[in-house]
Amino acid sequence: MIAAISAFANRFLGRGDATITVPSFDGALKPNQLLEQAETLLACDAPEDLAVDGDALLIADGPRLVRLAGSSPAEIRTFERPISALAMLPAGGLAVALGGTEVRVYDDIKAGTPTSVFTGDLNAVNALAHAADGTLIATDGSMVRGFSDWARDLMELGATGRVFQLDPKTRTTKQLASGLGYAFGAVADGGDVLVSESWRHRLIAIAPDGARTTVLGRLPVYPSRLAPAGGGGFWLTAFIARTQLVEFVLRETAFRRRMIAEIEPDYWVVPRLSSGHSFKEPLQGAHIKTMGVMKPWAPPRSYGLVIRLAADGSPRYSLHSRADGVNHGVVAAVEFGRDLVMIAKGPGRVLKLPLASLDEGIGA
Amino acid sequence: MRETLTRLRYRYWPDHLLGEILSKRWTETAVPVILLLIVGFALSQSLEHFLSPSSLADTARQAGEIGFIGLGMGLVVIAGGIDLSVGSMFALTDFCALYLLDVLEWPVPAVIIATMAVGGLLGAVNGLLIGYLRLRAFITTLITLIIYRSAFDLLIQRYSNAIASAFPDIPSWNFIGGGDVLGVPSVALVYIVVAIFGHIFLTRLRPGWHITAIGGSRRSAYNSGIPVRRTIALCYVASGVLTSIGALFFAARLGTVGGDIGVGLEVIVLTATVLGGITLGGGKGSVVKSLVGVLVVLLITNGLTAMNARGGVNRMALASILLAAAMIDIRWQKNRTRIISKVYVAPTYHALPPPPPTEIGQGGPFEQNDKLRNVTLIGLGRIEAPEDVILDRNDVLYAGSRHGDIIRFFPPDYESMEVFAHIGGQPLGMAFDRQDNLYVCIGGMGLYRITSDGTVQKATDETNRSLYSVNDDSRLRLADDLDITDDGLIFFSEATVRYEMDEWPVDGLEARGNGRIICYDTKTGATHTALRGLKFPNGVAVASDGESILFAETFGCSIKRYWFAGPRKGAVEIVMDNLPGYPDNINLASDGNYWLALVGMRSPSLDLAWKMPGFRRRMAKRVPIDEWLFPNINTGCVVKFNEQGKILESFWDLKGVNHPMITSMREHRGYLYLGGIANNRIGRFKLENADPDFVHYDKRWRKPS
Repeated sequence: MIAAISAFANRFLGRGDATITVPSFDGALKPNQLLEQAETLLACDAPEDLAVDGDALLIADGPRLVRLAGSSPAEIRTFERPISALAMLPAGGLAVALGGTEVRVYDDIKAGTPTSVFTGDLNAVNALAHAADGTLIATDGSMVRGFSDWARDLMELGATGRVFQLDPKTRTTKQLASGLGYAFGAVADGGDVLVSESWRHRLIAIAPDGARTTVLGRLPVYPSRLAPAGGGGFWLTAFIARTQLVEFVLRETAFRRRMIAEIEPDYWVVPRLSSGHSFKEPLQGAHIKTMGVMKPWAPPRSYGLVIRLAADGSPRYSLHSRADGVNHGVVAAVEFGRDLVMIAKGPGRVLKLPLASLDEGIGA
Repeated sequence: MRETLTRLRYRYWPDHLLGEILSKRWTETAVPVILLLIVGFALSQSLEHFLSPSSLADTARQAGEIGFIGLGMGLVVIAGGIDLSVGSMFALTDFCALYLLDVLEWPVPAVIIATMAVGGLLGAVNGLLIGYLRLRAFITTLITLIIYRSAFDLLIQRYSNAIASAFPDIPSWNFIGGGDVLGVPSVALVYIVVAIFGHIFLTRLRPGWHITAIGGSRRSAYNSGIPVRRTIALCYVASGVLTSIGALFFAARLGTVGGDIGVGLEVIVLTATVLGGITLGGGKGSVVKSLVGVLVVLLITNGLTAMNARGGVNRMALASILLAAAMIDIRWQKNRTRIISKVYVAPTYHALPPPPPTEIGQGGPFEQNDKLRNVTLIGLGRIEAPEDVILDRNDVLYAGSRHGDIIRFFPPDYESMEVFAHIGGQPLGMAFDRQDNLYVCIGGMGLYRITSDGTVQKATDETNRSLYSVNDDSRLRLADDLDITDDGLIFFSEATVRYEMDEWPVDGLEARGNGRIICYDTKTGATHTALRGLKFPNGVAVASDGESILFAETFGCSIKRYWFAGPRKGAVEIVMDNLPGYPDNINLASDGNYWLALVGMRSPSLDLAWKMPGFRRRMAKRVPIDEWLFPNINTGCVVKFNEQGKILESFWDLKGVNHPMITSMREHRGYLYLGGIANNRIGRFKLENADPDFVHYDKRWRKPS
């Protein structure tokens, strides 16, 4: 009763859960334009995930698996459905998720038949990571919406994300966690698994017994895939950023319901991987070009961000592409040789930044 | 069903009135007035003779006497001070009047003048110390309270017997004390006269404004050149004089100099002042507040006395009221503007049907193209915010800038530019009259005329006040675009009467018909409102029949036609509605059709939000304005339409890199010139198949080109 009253009062006064404040980009997240300065390694139609295979880079581009060694990309194989996640196994094996509903493990990247296939109730597998014990960690964003339909899941306040442990040897599936606000990205951290819980703007650690702790919370962005970084720590990408308008809309049930029912998804008030393609997209006050310029601090409909995390999960520095930039929707980052390679899904680019310049330039 | 209910609710329930009423300054007085009515009603119910003429006259006498002191106190408090010595001054001047009359036997006029002079003198001591020597008002008047009281005590020891034994029977003195005109006591009459003057003094005269300014911010007042010290000193003098007037009436009524005269009077008067709503912090107050406060306090004390409450109870009640009033006063002053800002924005229901298609391949008159991509630019980086552009018969290009200038560029290359005239407000729509005077709508200022030698003249900045509008809508807030008829009538749009120019997004959020079309007659100089209740009226152009104008309603997404003369005079007709964007300026094209700028395009999310007023109201409260859902004015287009409402052609720029926003366009000798209010450039675009000799205002005024 008291909870109901206080919830109503909060809604009425805009307090408590009804507050729409978004943390500011500050401290290690202080904005820069480093992602805008990144070199474009490759332009693709639908880049989705990255993996490193020895001295070559593997890129999932739609249903195609592209291998990039040196400067020449070569298509290795094509699947019948788009690849939604990609991982290289330590022994040279390949793991792919197809369309979010199926995970296949191959002995090597060219093997014709998979050694094991996981389907079950997988619905939106969007990231794969190998764990130290030879198993595979898979994050499944939503039980109700497909892997590319994440915006609808966000607008429906989805909380059906799950984390699975897939064992290629025994071909068994174990659910590590459920009820997550969109699980998107995982990495093994000792015995624990670090998982991005996008809709709750946080990074959580899941212990083998299923206990969850928040490693990094209150992010101003929606985190996505994770990758280990050389010298300890991790690379965390953020595919979209939070805005007060979206936070407000998330609390406006009637508007959201009508928006989902009546408006084409491209024009929803929701973060996107890229923006500015049509005047039918929602426009916010600070988006108005004044004297021919849109200000970089405008609330981002799409944003590009990669965060370097220390081994304890605390952020050390970050690479940005701000509201006026184009390298938005960063979904994957891996260290490859002496470079950091990233996928900016918004413009469909594979980007490269030398690691040395990052460590020097930012002084981390 | 639910939608219909929403529509009806927002159509008939005037949401916007609450904020408008609250932002009226007189609402500050409303609380004490309501309190007065409640107290009056309660007393009339509980006391038998409360409303009898004699009781009312008695109350009026006391109210008049204390009212004078209240006026003085009010004045001092408005100036940011306080006068605690009024009780002692009251006693001293009461003594002075009776001493002069009874002991020295001066004539009544001399007594009056001398008493007021003594009052002024006593006040001048305070004024000198506080105004010129800048002592603290509280401590200074506390000290003079004690000194004056001591002086009074010493004086009555010597003279009280002499005064008490005298029984002067002077008709004029008796009239002052007990006379009336048609039942209204003399003191009340004098009070009314003084109060009316005081109201005019405070609200209409320069010294009154100075006092308010000093109370509001002493430093700013000083920096504005107001003689702060003298004004403050004079306020205390006035307080002394007004107190002495009250004392004169008191002396004439009772004729005694008892030791307790004026004891605790400062508390009563201070309570009345604060209760009336005159802020102790200074800078706010009025005569009416002072009067209302006095009446409330008097009614309560008299009521309690009549109900046989003891003196202590009486004082206790007053003190508690003072405490409560001071508390409410502070909270209210602090939060009033916040409350207003929360309730002023009142979005309404605004439904538009799905817009016609604009996508390439979908066909239709609005199908996007890239014709404007290669506009050439004039004045890039040198002009800011040219909302409208206009060319004269010598091909000189004029445009407004946000610095309040009219800039002009010279042919043939439009490279050289100069400031043609400085006005000081943002120039919006422009038009030339028959004599080549340039008429300009200035946001926030009104309609201005610039003669061909660059002299700036105000044409009009006000119109008739609407009868039913709570906001004073006589001043022009956002004159936007204009055109001139053959008879010299200037029809111009005023986009909104509820917001200032920089607050246009708030008007868009409301989507209420806040705008109007106003007519200024160049022959008589008279201004009147022709149409009201329009959704952000913008572009105006005289139609070919010379009897009607075409005007755009930006947030109504429509073009309408209004007949100002002829058989259909007064009629309004829709020419085009459900446009896919927000129409802005309208201008004549060389082929007799019209150019229309669509400053922005509709987005489905805002269209939906316009149907959900509650959503927008909460958005206005919770979300900062930079993050609001806005009308998209980054992308727009130019279309050509005819008077039948048919779109003939559209010109788009898909990327909007060269010229992002279009608020206006003007055809001139085969080129189209583009203006945009958020731009730092003017666009120039070569038209195909256009009359190469077309000069807008040559054709308009039928001069040979």
